[in-house]
Amino acid sequence: MGARAGLLLILPAAAILAAGFVYPVLLLARISLNRTTDIGAMEEAVTLETFEQLVGDAFTWDLAWNTATLAAGSALAATALALPVALLIRAAPPRWRGLLSLMAVAPLLVSGTARVVGWLAILGDNGVVNATLMGLGLTDDPVRMINNWTGVRIGLTESLMPYACLVLIAGLGRLDPRLEEAAATLGATRSRTFLRVTLPLAAPALLAAFLLTFVLGVSAFVTPRLMGGGRVFVIATEIFDLALESVNWPAAAALAMLLLGALAVALVLRAVLVREAAR
Amino acid sequence: MPPDAMSHLRLDGLTRRFPGTAHPAVDGVSLELPRGALLALLGPSGCGKTTTLRMIAGLETPDAGRVTVAGRDVTDLPPHRRNMGVVFQSYALFPHMTAAANIAFGLEMRGTPRAERESRVAEALALVGLGDLAARKPRQLSGGQQQRVALARALAIQPDLLLLDEPLSALDAKLREGVRDEIRALQQRVGATTVFVTHDQTEALAMADLVAVMNEGRVEQLGTPEEVFERPATRFVATFVGRAARLPGRVDGPGVVRCGEVALRAAEAPGSGAAEVFIRPHHVRPLAPDATADNILEGRVLRRTYTGDLVSLECETPAGRIQAELPGGAPGAALAAGAAVRLGFAAEDVRVFPA
Amino acid sequence: MRPGWVLRLAAMAGYALLLAPALVVAVISFSAGDFLTFPPPGLSTRWYAALFSNGELMTALRNSAVLALLVASIALLAGIPAAYAIARLRFPGRDTIATLLVAPLLLPSLVLGLALLLALQPLKLAATWPGLVLAHSMVALPFAVRIMTTAFGAVPRDVEEAAWTLGATPFRAALRVTLPIAAPGALAAGALCFLVSFDETVISLFLVGPRLSTLPVEMFRYAETRTDPLVAALAMALIAVALVVVLLVERLVGFTRAMGRE
Repeated sequence: MGARAGLLLILPAAAILAAGFVYPVLLLARISLNRTTDIGAMEEAVTLETFEQLVGDAFTWDLAWNTATLAAGSALAATALALPVALLIRAAPPRWRGLLSLMAVAPLLVSGTARVVGWLAILGDNGVVNATLMGLGLTDDPVRMINNWTGVRIGLTESLMPYACLVLIAGLGRLDPRLEEAAATLGATRSRTFLRVTLPLAAPALLAAFLLTFVLGVSAFVTPRLMGGGRVFVIATEIFDLALESVNWPAAAALAMLLLGALAVALVLRAVLVREAAR
Repeated sequence: MPPDAMSHLRLDGLTRRFPGTAHPAVDGVSLELPRGALLALLGPSGCGKTTTLRMIAGLETPDAGRVTVAGRDVTDLPPHRRNMGVVFQSYALFPHMTAAANIAFGLEMRGTPRAERESRVAEALALVGLGDLAARKPRQLSGGQQQRVALARALAIQPDLLLLDEPLSALDAKLREGVRDEIRALQQRVGATTVFVTHDQTEALAMADLVAVMNEGRVEQLGTPEEVFERPATRFVATFVGRAARLPGRVDGPGVVRCGEVALRAAEAPGSGAAEVFIRPHHVRPLAPDATADNILEGRVLRRTYTGDLVSLECETPAGRIQAELPGGAPGAALAAGAAVRLGFAAEDVRVFPA
Repeated sequence: MRPGWVLRLAAMAGYALLLAPALVVAVISFSAGDFLTFPPPGLSTRWYAALFSNGELMTALRNSAVLALLVASIALLAGIPAAYAIARLRFPGRDTIATLLVAPLLLPSLVLGLALLLALQPLKLAATWPGLVLAHSMVALPFAVRIMTTAFGAVPRDVEEAAWTLGATPFRAALRVTLPIAAPGALAAGALCFLVSFDETVISLFLVGPRLSTLPVEMFRYAETRTDPLVAALAMALIAVALVVVLLVERLVGFTRAMGRE
């Protein structure tokens, strides 16, 4: 089977890809260059007007700042919390490793909405945390942890953790456990071994995990929307509202293009950093 | 040699160069093989023997050259239209099929009716002595059994040519000799013209009617096992097949080569100039005081190595260091290190190659 | 070296965070109360009864199941030949197409959803079966291609070559030998594609309409507006499906491997 068979076999997939990915994404780029008239209708044009409006609007910059800080904070927390999980998996006997890994990444396949519902029940006014706090007499009124940034941060951290676990399990699996044993035989305590041997060796994997979860966090939609209860605004929620509520397609498309541009920069940065770290 | 001397397999200038490599993997290989004969392609890894086999099977496309089987040019045929039974180094059994289904596969592809298929599968299984394991999957079979299934699968299609790629390399050393003899016996019984790839000279010498010694993509020598072993055509063959003492020398005249202070008589020697002299240990004998030989060297035993059935004596002589290998109990086998020795060997056993 | 207690404690905290939401949802779905209260005031199956008697949600469940089956079938039918070509054949543009085929996974689903809305709305394909099937295929197909490329790559080449030498045309060899050996991978890919579609929320949010909606979208909207345990029962339905699929995939190829090497 030669070139012809290859092209023939790949044709159906390529056709689906062209119709469902290539064409829509090109159209998205094209529509971002259209303009919106005063009555809100879309007008064919090739102009950077919409971009100029977005970049000139302080609200866009607020959104960008909110999005970046939310993503960075949650990515950092997710990576930090995933590290002990990955280290435990690495140190576990082989027959436990499969189950422990599965438990760490299985949430990926539980619908994000379902997990948000769980957080609503944990952090809500009638939830576990508030019931405990009030039961202990630490507070009289429920602490508000949903429909605000706190809830979004917690929910997003949890939703990013499985990705951090995936990266760290793969990355740490390549480290020879005998290095730590060597450190121990040389008289290092557990904490010193961790700080002087494990952590430096894990640095590239940690960096990769942070950058991946950051990129995912920047474009997260379900968690900010549901945990924020409509009171938390990030780029993703704004794109959604522009497209479906204001029905301002050029603006939605332009904001999406800006998001893609930022992600592309982050991806390039990530490639460079990971390569540097691998040196 | 089988009586039918008409060539059944013919390779003409077969050449294959892999992209990005400096030298061709196979470089103008030509040879002929009579019907029913077994040819061993022998050489070190990377010599092009497996690539040659794959080109015969159609799994690799030659850049130049032709492959002819029974007078038919098959060079441009895809593998599935060549009717060649191939036993792969890994056996390449279909893991999802039973032994019987593996063997039936080729017949099925040929549209053989079910009834005939079944009888031929049973026949092939019986041929390799696995009649009762027909329903097993490959992973339920031992290495040796898998190898036999692979062989039965290749033979069941009654191939025009049987091709074996290092068929013994995946087996335990203990099993190898038995399987080797079995394959040879089977091949002779079925009369299948066979090409066999190996890097093991013992295997090649023990099984083959013809041996092609390959190096760097070329055939260095094509001959019977005896010819290749006793009369290596090139320095490479002399080095690769069997062991030999290698002495630097200089050709002095017709049939005379000087090594150190001694002149040795050689049956064949190149014209003149610097040369390398090969003398195989089993050709060298300690002589009784009154015995004579074409070449006689006085020397001293440096080391005696006893390996059970053989005794090997390493001797210092005026021509250089020479080994003599003789059966335990043979005259001279009891000589100890330090003893004086008189070594003799025939002129035709002295192989001289230009250095 | 055995893990010390600090590490064990920290890892347990990590696992607690990872698994807490799903566990809490499981308990609350059996609540007898009217709100998302934890611990629940009492246990009952009333919210499951409410779920199963809710016509709208049951329609959405059926839609999601049918959609996921269609998407998984299409992803396999298109993805298996493509993966075979990528793993085994040489042809011009192979690497480009291979990269493009997994590219939709790199795009945030929010952006992909928006792009699909912009493309499908003018064609009157938004909120239609063909539109949703196409949209979900964009996330399922890359998984199918990636898993099957790995699965085909793991089939030894000489097994396929053996089939050729026995007289099988390349097409028959692929069908009779390579594909059956890669079958566990195909099953895993199908299960994963089913799940990816069944759980897909963000892209669907752009493309559903009053006449055609999916379960995750209905759950999203329910969670946006109301907070009774019905939504927990709904979440459990989704988790149960996910669990079955995860266990199936784990049995077949190992889940962590299937999710990729990021």
